[in-house]
Amino acid sequence: MKIVQWSLALFLLLATPAAAFTTRDMLGREVTLAAPPARIVSLVPSVTEILYALKAEDMLVGVTDFCDFPPQARRKPSVGGMVAPSLEAVAALRPDLVIATTEGTREDTFTQLTRLGIPVYLVAVHRVAEVKALIVRLGGLTGRQAAAGSIVTRLEQRIDAVTKAVGSRDRPRVLYVLWPEPLIVPGRDTIVTELIQLAGGRSLTADDPDSWPRYSLEAAVAGRPEVILLANHGAGTGAIAEEKWRRLGDLPAVKAGRLRSVNGDLLHRYGPRVADGLEQLARAIHPEAFQ
Amino acid sequence: MPPKLLELDRVSFAYPKPAGRRAFALSDVSLEVGAGEIVGVIGPNSSGKTTLIRLLTRVLEPASGEIRLDGASVRRLERTELARRVGVVPQSAPAECPFNVGELVLMGRYPHGPGRYFESRQDHAAARAAMEATGVLEFADLPLDHLSGGERQRAFIARALAQEPRLLVLDEPTAHLDLRYQVEVASLLRRLHRERGIAILLVSHDLNLAGEVCDRLMLLAGGRAAATGSPEVVLEESLLSSVFGCDVVVDKGEPGRRPLVRLTWRA
Amino acid sequence: MSPAKRLALVLAVLAAALLVTGAVALFVGSAAISPRAVLNALAGRAAPESVERVVTLSIRLPRILVAVLAGGALAVAGVAFQALTRNPLAEPSVLGVTSGAAFGVVIGQSVGLGWTFLEAAGLTAFAFAGALLAAGLVYLIAAIGRELSIQTLLLAGVIVGIFFSAAITVIISLLDLNRLGGVIHWLLGNLAPIPPRALAVFTLCAAVGFWLVARRARELNLMALGEETALLLGVGAERLKLTIFVGAALLTASVVAFAGPIGFVGLIVPHALRMLLGSDNRLLVPASLVGGGIFLLLADTLARNVVAPAELSVGVITSLCGAPFFVYLLRTRYRANL
Repeated sequence: MKIVQWSLALFLLLATPAAAFTTRDMLGREVTLAAPPARIVSLVPSVTEILYALKAEDMLVGVTDFCDFPPQARRKPSVGGMVAPSLEAVAALRPDLVIATTEGTREDTFTQLTRLGIPVYLVAVHRVAEVKALIVRLGGLTGRQAAAGSIVTRLEQRIDAVTKAVGSRDRPRVLYVLWPEPLIVPGRDTIVTELIQLAGGRSLTADDPDSWPRYSLEAAVAGRPEVILLANHGAGTGAIAEEKWRRLGDLPAVKAGRLRSVNGDLLHRYGPRVADGLEQLARAIHPEAFQ
Repeated sequence: MPPKLLELDRVSFAYPKPAGRRAFALSDVSLEVGAGEIVGVIGPNSSGKTTLIRLLTRVLEPASGEIRLDGASVRRLERTELARRVGVVPQSAPAECPFNVGELVLMGRYPHGPGRYFESRQDHAAARAAMEATGVLEFADLPLDHLSGGERQRAFIARALAQEPRLLVLDEPTAHLDLRYQVEVASLLRRLHRERGIAILLVSHDLNLAGEVCDRLMLLAGGRAAATGSPEVVLEESLLSSVFGCDVVVDKGEPGRRPLVRLTWRA
Repeated sequence: MSPAKRLALVLAVLAAALLVTGAVALFVGSAAISPRAVLNALAGRAAPESVERVVTLSIRLPRILVAVLAGGALAVAGVAFQALTRNPLAEPSVLGVTSGAAFGVVIGQSVGLGWTFLEAAGLTAFAFAGALLAAGLVYLIAAIGRELSIQTLLLAGVIVGIFFSAAITVIISLLDLNRLGGVIHWLLGNLAPIPPRALAVFTLCAAVGFWLVARRARELNLMALGEETALLLGVGAERLKLTIFVGAALLTASVVAFAGPIGFVGLIVPHALRMLLGSDNRLLVPASLVGGGIFLLLADTLARNVVAPAELSVGVITSLCGAPFFVYLLRTRYRANL
């Protein structure tokens, strides 16, 4: 009898057709596919980075013009810009899943893709914890859970190393400049703010409820920043002119020579390189801890 | 007694007045035009001559009094009906007119078929006839700007004729025209009147033209009718001198000939 | 040749040009699909879920239909406004309607119309509301009693347009950085495929607007000589002005609502056709419907192919054509009569 029961159970298990692949994206929407995804179009440079880190790039059939890391990503077919990628180009790649973010791509694009029957998986990352969650999710989507796990572990180790090195030193006041004109700074809900915190600094603009508020120069210097970090935005855009800031000679940051350029790509994207970004920040804020 | 073709019955009108202007443009004016008559309205500038035409064509509404066509108040007539009975030749053409003569004259056929998208064959025939009558058929394909002043005036008369009106109204038809064209237009009007029996209401500051062409005259002064009657009666020296504010001399000429108004030039 | 025959001939030629342009537009795009595959898809013989079917029927064809409809509507609105104001520089965006609609959309997008109910309907309704608000304001400012003053109309349109543009700028400057790209993208004017139901509503609105203008084309000719002249010839000038204004506003509002703010079509197409066909509105209005469609379709085909797979905004293309055209117009104004 037991053999029959067991055989039956086994038979049912093996005979069950692969269930439709259903999951929830980071905005809580239910996304349903016929089978686990095999052809993915990534409309988010960060996601592209993570997919390569997971060694899942074979599943990646399309990227945007802005997906430039790793360099091999440039060789993948592009579907256009991030804001409004070409629907035709996406459709021509016959993807079974498009991964995108509402912060950067028009909502109309999602509507159109859905109408064409292409499932859209949305991501939103504002915290380091969410970065880890994203890596895990992408690992689940691509069947690379083990790789995802080890990437997350490595990430946590590097973060811990930084927080340990920085220790309980005094937290200098940090002004992070995403864009000089108009002056755009990170508010409460961004990774950069959290990274500054982890790197042993205190972002002057951390309390602003907007993610990327625009400040007047006055308001920015009113907090008397001790460290000023100017984000440069990767290949092709060049470093933001430090000259303008040097002219504000009275600021403690400028007096102490603590005006630095940092690589924006490491800090605004949310892949494994976040650890690189954190280390870069920590070195700029507490250089003495990393001699 | 059959109603007159056109009756103005104690018509008054005032433009909204800026400070210092006269209160009324027209005050208690009455005029009759019978079928087949040629009537002239004369008077100094801003005596109300053009206002009269605008009231007649319902561009403006009288403040009091009534205007009647064939006994019926114009207020109750459909605009297209009004346009079928009264054809107006305006004083001047607009600055930029992109149409050629033929197209312009065809516009006169609108009141006869406002619902039509394109004009009918009859419309084209009527327009042609109107152009022939005014001698502008040869210019049919020319843009209006290519015509001389006199030719253009005749084209507008053709348009009014194409409306097949019973009353033709002309606002200063010879203003700005060379002498030759003044004579041309005057004889055209007389011919049209003779051949078609069309009634004509002529508004002009040219006293002699009006005196020559019209059966009756009305002299407007300060918005009121200073005199109405035959040219011999209205073109009277002391009357004209007081209305126009300068000395004029009227040659009565032989009986049967119209009076001739002359200006006197003081040193 | 009788005018009716001439109209038929002109329309036939334009329709043929439209078909050719449409065919070209169907065959080119970011997805490399052979003409044969496109034809298969059109004939319904392509495999369901195949690339050519999706791209041809769900992406290219609807987008082409939007372009043709929007271009035609804008061109007719242009003819109408030019005839109404007796000014060759008039076009839909001059009368503030485009800015009003854009303002509505920007409000909708910044309020975040949570993307769950972002059917075209939501934003479209906002656009329509904005357009009609602007049109209403223009009318209120320009109407004295019950009479519509044409000179005031133009001025009122410019003022209302400036007001809404300023309002848009204020909103943009306060917008979350993440939404900014999307809003600006829309403001540049981009055509996108819209679902069949929305397309049907768009067609209906445009048809009503077209009908309001087209059936009065003859009266518009008479208005060219001045309002007083038109009155003398029996035209009910006040009613005509209102009808044309409403028709042109409706055309413009529906384009902005369903396709976005696109400029210069209403300026270039009527003038180009005027140079070929003369100033008779009875020819111009129907010809502009088809001619506008051809023009915008060409511009859009260019926009989506010239830097493929990225896309230029169609508004960029029409502006690049429009600015020099404007200059040309200003310099030859006296020959480009209404």
